[in-house]
Amino acid sequence: MSPDTPPRAASREAALRGPGGQLRLRAEEAASPLPPLLVQAEQLAGAVLLGDHGRRRSGMGDDFWQYRPVQPGDSRRMIDHRRSARGDQQFVREREWQIAQTVHFWTDRGASMRFASSDHLPTKADRARLLALATAILMVRGGERVGLTGGLLPPRRGNIQILRMAESWTKDDDTPYAPPEHRALIPHARALCISDFLGPMQELETALAKSADRGVRGVLLQVLDPSEEAFPFAGRTRFESVTGELAHETLKARGLRDRYLDRLAERRDALDHLCRETGWQLGLHHTEQSAQAGLLWLHGALGRRAGHAT
Amino acid sequence: MSVIYGIGFASPWLLVALLALPIIWFLLRAIPPAPKRQLFPAVTLLLGLGDKETQVDRTPWWLLLLRLLALAAVILGLAGPVLNPARAIDSPKPLLLVVDASWAGAAHWSETRTQLQSLLQDAARANRPVALLSLTDPTPLQFQPADVQARLLAGVVPQPWQPSTEMLSAATRHVTEAQQGFDTLWISDGLSFVDDREARRDFIAALRDRGAVEVLQNQHEVVGLLPAAFEDGAIVLQATRANPGPASAHQLQALGLDPGGQERILASVAFQFEAGATTAETRLSLPAELRARISRFALADVRSAGAIALSDDRLRRREVALISSQAGNEGLALLSPLHYLREALAPSADLLEGTLANLLPAKPDVIVLADVAHLPAAQEEALVNWIVDGGLLLRFAGPRLAASDTARDREEPLMPVRLRIGGRSIGGAMSWGDPKTLAPFAEGSPFYKLEIPDEVTVRSQVVAQPDPELANRVIAELADGTPLVTRKDLGQGQIVLFHVTANAEWSSLPLSGLFVDMLERLAVSSAAKAPEATELDGTIWQPVDVLDGFGRLRDAGTQPGVAGPALIEAAAGPDLWPGLYQSGKRSLARNVLPVGSTLQPAIWPQDIPVRAFEASPERPLGGLFLSMALILMALDVAASLLVSGLWSPAKAAKGTAAVVLAGLLLHPNPAPAQTAAELAGELRLAYVLTGDASVDATAEAGLRGLSDVLRYRTSVEPAAPFGVDLERDELALFPILYWPMTAQQPMPSAEAYGRLNTYLANGGMIFFDTRDSDLSVTGSTSPAARRLQQIALALDIPPLEIVPRDHVLTRAFYLLQDFPGRHLRGPVWVEAIATEAETVEGLPFRQLNDGVTPVVIGGNDWAAAWAVDASGAPMYPVGRGYGGERQRELARRFGVNLVMHVLTGNYKSDQVHVPALLDRLGQ
Repeated sequence: MSPDTPPRAASREAALRGPGGQLRLRAEEAASPLPPLLVQAEQLAGAVLLGDHGRRRSGMGDDFWQYRPVQPGDSRRMIDHRRSARGDQQFVREREWQIAQTVHFWTDRGASMRFASSDHLPTKADRARLLALATAILMVRGGERVGLTGGLLPPRRGNIQILRMAESWTKDDDTPYAPPEHRALIPHARALCISDFLGPMQELETALAKSADRGVRGVLLQVLDPSEEAFPFAGRTRFESVTGELAHETLKARGLRDRYLDRLAERRDALDHLCRETGWQLGLHHTEQSAQAGLLWLHGALGRRAGHAT
Repeated sequence: MSVIYGIGFASPWLLVALLALPIIWFLLRAIPPAPKRQLFPAVTLLLGLGDKETQVDRTPWWLLLLRLLALAAVILGLAGPVLNPARAIDSPKPLLLVVDASWAGAAHWSETRTQLQSLLQDAARANRPVALLSLTDPTPLQFQPADVQARLLAGVVPQPWQPSTEMLSAATRHVTEAQQGFDTLWISDGLSFVDDREARRDFIAALRDRGAVEVLQNQHEVVGLLPAAFEDGAIVLQATRANPGPASAHQLQALGLDPGGQERILASVAFQFEAGATTAETRLSLPAELRARISRFALADVRSAGAIALSDDRLRRREVALISSQAGNEGLALLSPLHYLREALAPSADLLEGTLANLLPAKPDVIVLADVAHLPAAQEEALVNWIVDGGLLLRFAGPRLAASDTARDREEPLMPVRLRIGGRSIGGAMSWGDPKTLAPFAEGSPFYKLEIPDEVTVRSQVVAQPDPELANRVIAELADGTPLVTRKDLGQGQIVLFHVTANAEWSSLPLSGLFVDMLERLAVSSAAKAPEATELDGTIWQPVDVLDGFGRLRDAGTQPGVAGPALIEAAAGPDLWPGLYQSGKRSLARNVLPVGSTLQPAIWPQDIPVRAFEASPERPLGGLFLSMALILMALDVAASLLVSGLWSPAKAAKGTAAVVLAGLLLHPNPAPAQTAAELAGELRLAYVLTGDASVDATAEAGLRGLSDVLRYRTSVEPAAPFGVDLERDELALFPILYWPMTAQQPMPSAEAYGRLNTYLANGGMIFFDTRDSDLSVTGSTSPAARRLQQIALALDIPPLEIVPRDHVLTRAFYLLQDFPGRHLRGPVWVEAIATEAETVEGLPFRQLNDGVTPVVIGGNDWAAAWAVDASGAPMYPVGRGYGGERQRELARRFGVNLVMHVLTGNYKSDQVHVPALLDRLGQ
């Protein structure tokens, strides 16, 4: 679909009315105050798709780059007659070579994300999708191509892609702790993974290693509920995962607190280490914080030049 | 029943279950509290973390203790514990309970009753049949199971008399007639009530024939109050007690009606029994007015008929009307025929002066006619009727009576005797002889035994015509036998004629103290002495109010009358209840203790054991233990939740606060009701709450809209409208009541009707709206109109008519001819013009009732047309398009006119005179 084709009003309204529409509405609200994000091109070479990013070299694009004398092999249509009429020499108008960056999104749709410790807090999954979609909207406004990891929704431009992403995120997964999807990543693209990263580390390591192999850099955002950070429990308690598969019973929950916090810190260290090895960035977001804070951080992280990140 | 430390158990073997407690302890210890389930995705991080501490593995010891205590309380409660169980009388014989049941025990009757109940309970436990014998009301013995008797216990009440010899002998007879042997428990009030020992001894002997006798004696001091006497300007009150014990103080109260008709304590005085004394005396000096109001004296802290002294006529104040033929003459005070009467009566009676026509409707007790010869026929008839109803007419002779032809030829109804022409003068300058003195009063005269001072002489008098009746009618005569005072009965009242003047002109009688005494004897003023028995011979006294044993006055109902001497002399009993008796115009109090009586303590034979009442009656504790167990279990629930972490006090407090807050918010009237003072502070329109929420809301919105219109367009600035609950709210605060009618409208109560009628009578206006003129013409049969008819039936609504074209309502503010509301053409009814009212020429509208109609009735649903929502936009559509808006505007104008009409009355109709007034002022 052409990037300039606006979605038809009817389909837009229909989309807004559906569950994905609500999500998108909120995401747009969260995204609106931010300036468009232009993802720095990490590599000039690579994909050859047209975009708004000047490559500082002559190529196919909309913006003027330079005039050059006509060389043999240039078709006559390429001659810029306004410039050529000034003199005897014929010039060709060259445009800047523009390229779009591709960003892959992955949000954890596992059951562990469907948790909120209080009625006043959003679930982790809600917050993760909101942040991801807001970021995607920013990307699209910046002319980037966005898509999901895995083959389901290849990167595309345009608002309709936002709708598709929002729609695909409304579906939940029953896996207790979903492993990151790392297939169908376009080489040298960027990636954003949002999850609580409480599942097995093994798969995450594999996924990051594979993407690093393909030259994909990205951001891991860990979204946690405040109760997972504070562990405000006491007394005899049976802790259960959301699907009920895993359970742990304790007679004195208060006694577990320090050790739990140690383990949480360990997990974060491991994530940090993994990121440093693969050139990714690690962020932390709590559902009690405002989504804006998370989005700002993502904006900064994805906008950073690759050189800074590695 | 086994008794352990004052606690007995009905089923002691249940206590064995207490042995199981240690076993339960071990069982309970093994069961830890149930865990709390907690959803927690980060459980992956917890896996493999063991508990370092294990002491909560078991139930905490204090929780265990709590549970065991609850269990122990249940066991103890079921075992039927009884505190202070009555000592069992082990004899299997039936039990006779003898109760004095006299007024002496009334003061502490609750103790006696508790004692009886515990005795009956005890007998019930021992399966002993019981009979009750009340000495003041002896009945044949009936041995019945104790629980049956317990039900009959309410019928045993203290009587306002003491057992007499006859009652005791009747009781003795019943005891001897009983078939079986029995033990006796005599609950005594501590008084020896019969003067002759014989009867009492016989009774005790009869009881001892049957079995063991034991006495339970009330240890409280028995105090009685003797009748009040009036001596030297003070009321003398004597109290007596049975035992010359230590000093004790009491409070004595004089009770009576205040001017408002409420009984209250008029005076209070403290007195004290000195140590070792059995009588105490106190004096109460009160103004005559207050004294006359006293109906009885009572000991403040004693609830017994013996502690009441009823007062009668002797303390009452009478109303005496003084009428003289010379009323209004500017004569000398000392020559006024009424002067001496006034002096004699003023201290002890209320005096009324004026003309007979004015005073007769006041129904005085006594009317005094001083030298009045003739009365107009109508007044004479009224006076006769008054006497027949029990009035006392006191007449004095004088020059006018002597000169008139009154009662010359025939006996007049208002004169006791016929009179001879002229009268006579003795001892004057022109006559022979000395002034005459009075002869001693004959027996049968009301003045009998009054002392006659020597200085009383009579110089002139009117003379009675000899007559067969005369001798009976003379109640005082001169030394030569000439009648001086004559009396005649007429109906229930009497006529007394003094044959001399009421001033000192004809005799010196009015100057002497005898005059005052005679007036007292005639019950013109209140007397101070109790009557003798012989004085009352032949009279029958009807009881009015009688005392019960507790000293409460109650209506005597249909109790038979009592002969006069018996009333004074006989002992109180079922035939002679203490109380207030009446005969003719006189009333007499019969008290429990007659004058001079004393109280004798009971004396028992040496070998009869006498016990005091049990200090603490037995009390079953089972319920107490069981409720304690319930409380402990409730605590256990809370504690278990606390231990398992499912509940914490902080959370609970938050929850409770939320519940309380929710309760407050859900409460229909969270704001305190507006007080009358707040409502009265500002003018506000009001509507009647119909009970239909939507109608009420519309009425509220409508009046709010109308208030806004008034505020914008006129100088009337009403506050927020108020919903009136007819049953509760004060109506006088609102100038107009809007009353939307619904078919389901409840009927107002009688009080509400009373208030509504007062409201209408005092210038309020009720605006009835049947809201249905789209369906029917007002007044015809729609459900709301029918309801309106039912409701308005009891209201004082004047005749109505459809608003005439010249009614002030059509021009109070706007000029209107139609009164549309949400509906267009319903007629509006207002008070009809009075038939005699004529249209005054040049006056465009009529003068009626200050111009304000008390009701306006229509059915155009005005409130809906006025109704606005919070933002001021109309709530209901009216009509169609611009025509509809015009209709709404007219509805608003009608509302303005209506309120203006209510607030300004006929001011608007008066305005038409303004040009004429200005003209007259010369401007």
